[in-house]
Amino acid sequence: MIVPSNAAEELGQLRRMRLVSVVEGCTLLILVFVAVPIKHLGGHAIATTIIGPIHGMAFLLYIWTLIQTVSGADFTRPDVVRMVVAAFFPFGAFLNERALRRRQALLASG
Amino acid sequence: MQIYLWLKAIHIAAATTWITGLVVAGLAVASRLVRAGIQTAQDPYLLEAVRRWDRFFTLPAMLLTWALGIAMAMQAGWFSSHWLMIKLTIVGALLALHGVLSGTLRRLARGADRPAAILLYAAPATILGIVMIAILVVTKPF
Repeated sequence: MIVPSNAAEELGQLRRMRLVSVVEGCTLLILVFVAVPIKHLGGHAIATTIIGPIHGMAFLLYIWTLIQTVSGADFTRPDVVRMVVAAFFPFGAFLNERALRRRQALLASG
Repeated sequence: MQIYLWLKAIHIAAATTWITGLVVAGLAVASRLVRAGIQTAQDPYLLEAVRRWDRFFTLPAMLLTWALGIAMAMQAGWFSSHWLMIKLTIVGALLALHGVLSGTLRRLARGADRPAAILLYAAPATILGIVMIAILVVTKPF
């Protein structure tokens, strides 16, 4: 069978989206609470030079995966708006991860 | 050889792979619109092949394109240039289009009938975007 099971496919997508959300949120935490203090208090700009681009790439992957996830599933319009808005706020990825976890649990139980 | 030239060469190769994958995905989605619901027995196989290509080649190529592009711009000090800001806007739009196409391919693979009609223009829009980027990068007008 070429066409995968709908529920398994959707659960896999939600797992990937949650993983990317956590990675994006964690890289931002490291940037804000580790790299930036090291730069400004310790005088070592190398920390932000390394973590900054890593977080930038994580953010791009997060935005791409978010667009892919909502384009490929039946999310309600308010859900889409909330997730996209949260994506542009610091640590909004963690809020989205919780919402995705709830959706995943609902799908798994159904 | 200077590291910049290596970055540039791999950036161009990755961008070519990304854009080719975008055009293929755009055509695969558009084919569902053009044939207005008429499907052949080969459709699921083609769709699955395009999806696999998207996951294993087009997505990594996109990430590599962005990473090397940002590295080059930082090295050359281009972030204050207006042409780069316009290019980044276009590349951001291509990233969004790629996400929509990838999600639509997933939806079609799960049995959805018709994608959004506007996606008929996804492949031409991609070509328009890359033409604008080529002009901006080569001429650096602002």
